[in-house]
Amino acid sequence: MATVQLQDVCKRYGGAGGLAAVQDVSLTVADGEFMVLLGPSGCGKSTTLRMIAGLESISDGRLAIDGRPMNAVPAKDRDIAMVFQSYALYPHMTVADNLSFGLRRRGTPRAEIERRVAATAEMLGLTEYLARRPAALSGGQRQRVALGRAIVREPKVFLFDEPLSNLDAALRVATRNELTRLHRRLGATMIYVTHDQVEAMTMGSRICVMNRGRIAQVGAPLEVYRNPADTFVARFLGSPPMNLLPARLRRAAGGSVALVAGAELPLTRWSDAALEGVAEASFGIRPEEMLLLPPDAAPQPAIAGTVASVEPLGAETLLLVDTAGGEVTARLHRDTAARPGDAVRLGIPSAAAYLFGPDGRAIEADRPAAGAALN
Amino acid sequence: MREQGRGDRLTALLRRGPLLAVLVLYTLYTTLPFLWVGAMSLRTTAEISADHYGLPSPAHWGKFRAAWVDSNFAGYFWNSTVVVVSAVAIVTVLGAMAAHALARYRFPGNRLIYFVLFSSIIFPPQIVLLSLFQILVNYDLYNTRTGLVLVYVSLQLPLTVFILEAFFARIPQDLFEAARIDGYTDFQIFLRIVVPVGMPAIVTTVILNFVHLWNEYLFAVVLVSDEDLRTLPVGIQRFMGDYFQDIGMIATGVMIAVIPVIVVYAFFSEKLIQGMTAGAVK
Repeated sequence: MATVQLQDVCKRYGGAGGLAAVQDVSLTVADGEFMVLLGPSGCGKSTTLRMIAGLESISDGRLAIDGRPMNAVPAKDRDIAMVFQSYALYPHMTVADNLSFGLRRRGTPRAEIERRVAATAEMLGLTEYLARRPAALSGGQRQRVALGRAIVREPKVFLFDEPLSNLDAALRVATRNELTRLHRRLGATMIYVTHDQVEAMTMGSRICVMNRGRIAQVGAPLEVYRNPADTFVARFLGSPPMNLLPARLRRAAGGSVALVAGAELPLTRWSDAALEGVAEASFGIRPEEMLLLPPDAAPQPAIAGTVASVEPLGAETLLLVDTAGGEVTARLHRDTAARPGDAVRLGIPSAAAYLFGPDGRAIEADRPAAGAALN
Repeated sequence: MREQGRGDRLTALLRRGPLLAVLVLYTLYTTLPFLWVGAMSLRTTAEISADHYGLPSPAHWGKFRAAWVDSNFAGYFWNSTVVVVSAVAIVTVLGAMAAHALARYRFPGNRLIYFVLFSSIIFPPQIVLLSLFQILVNYDLYNTRTGLVLVYVSLQLPLTVFILEAFFARIPQDLFEAARIDGYTDFQIFLRIVVPVGMPAIVTTVILNFVHLWNEYLFAVVLVSDEDLRTLPVGIQRFMGDYFQDIGMIATGVMIAVIPVIVVYAFFSEKLIQGMTAGAVK
């Protein structure tokens, strides 16, 4: 197993002044860690993974695996294995040949190859398919062969490039769990690229959120979810995304308040000192923290609006509400009698509020966010 | 229910009827002349003159022996085999390598080379006949099997590259990258991934090139004049005099010439189907 270190890594296409796909990425993946690179299409996560794999050259910066510089080392000598989104199985070979293809090239003794292929096939439930070709396998089985091809090599680092994207929803959940178990069992260093936040949240020891070729935030999944570094991370993690409303801040007798959508919301997480000099900000609240207040509710911080649509999902209901500050989404953990056109009040717990400055960066609070729905 | 079933069958027949009719007509159009030549190959020219469309009764099987032994068809057959097999082998190896390079590697001039190769397909081969003749004479390759092989290679290479490049370009990049991580060099990847995965396209070009070159007449007649070096299509010409055409022996010669084409097609088309069903690229 191994650590992977990236230091100020850049990838530019078309020479020194060319298009920068990845900029100044510095990241250390610890030995045995499951690191998820998460971000939207074109954010540079796959390019970063491919640079680690040796499939893309590094324009600038330094990559080291186990302390050994890797910039100039070819892919085959990096002792990594990669699972591709398309599985990349060799269509003319049987499952057994697919599994052993890399070992044969490395001159592994025949008996050892057979032992490892048998063990891997056993681990992944592929034993009865060893003589089949990929075309005769289901999507899930092909995915397991692709995984097996990486496992059988016993590499220092496993790299995954959106390996679950081609699976249907049910199989994706099952394979996700399988991968997590596999990581626990092998204790290997794994770097996993995805644009799916559920995969990132459930699988990663840590996640690295990327945006426009740069790292936006790195941390444990819940830590990043609860303390997003900026509006991009705040909105990218969470579904539906965090509500962001324009706010004007002012000092009041009991502390600072935010004027949001015509309502005055107390800012209990921040001291006056923390908000010194901040007049305007984005006020953030996660949909699951909002409460639909009954008409006779006691006075409390809330914003008013009109129901735009109601989306019952069974276990929960999404309420889209037009407010003076823009549309917000509330996630209710029960059915609601509210109908489009109804006037409603949405309670905003002060402890679950976020503030982002004009540059989009989070304004650091003195008290952590409540994260009530997560507890 | 039964009425409805009959109605469905009638609708299906009406829908498929025109298609079937076209297929039957086309099959007759291509098969009948072949069967006619086959029948003539077993009849003498005198019998054919008396009744153009008669059946071979009795069948003169001895004509095949006569053509093979007495009219040097064994030699023509050997020449054709050497020239065509060599040319097809070279075209296939060179074409596959060139197609792989053009489909897979980004390098300056890639598309220019492809365009120049491709553009040579659109010119009729007669245009280059005289210059090729002169080149072969200058290099002492005129009237040699080597000269004819080189000309055939140059004639068939553009189409081969064109067909293979289109197929190879569709092989996912991930396969190459997986093989690179598995430790294979570029040439090993070509041999162990591109060639097997691209086999259906390669076989298609082998069949196309073999059939085309086996029947090629124009360059064979211009670039080879020695009787001992002639290929089959030119050899058949022996039976055509200025005043008399031995139509019966021409038919026998044609049948001898066509047998390898049928064998190659039957053998490789089997491989072709196997290759296609062996697994889609994904």
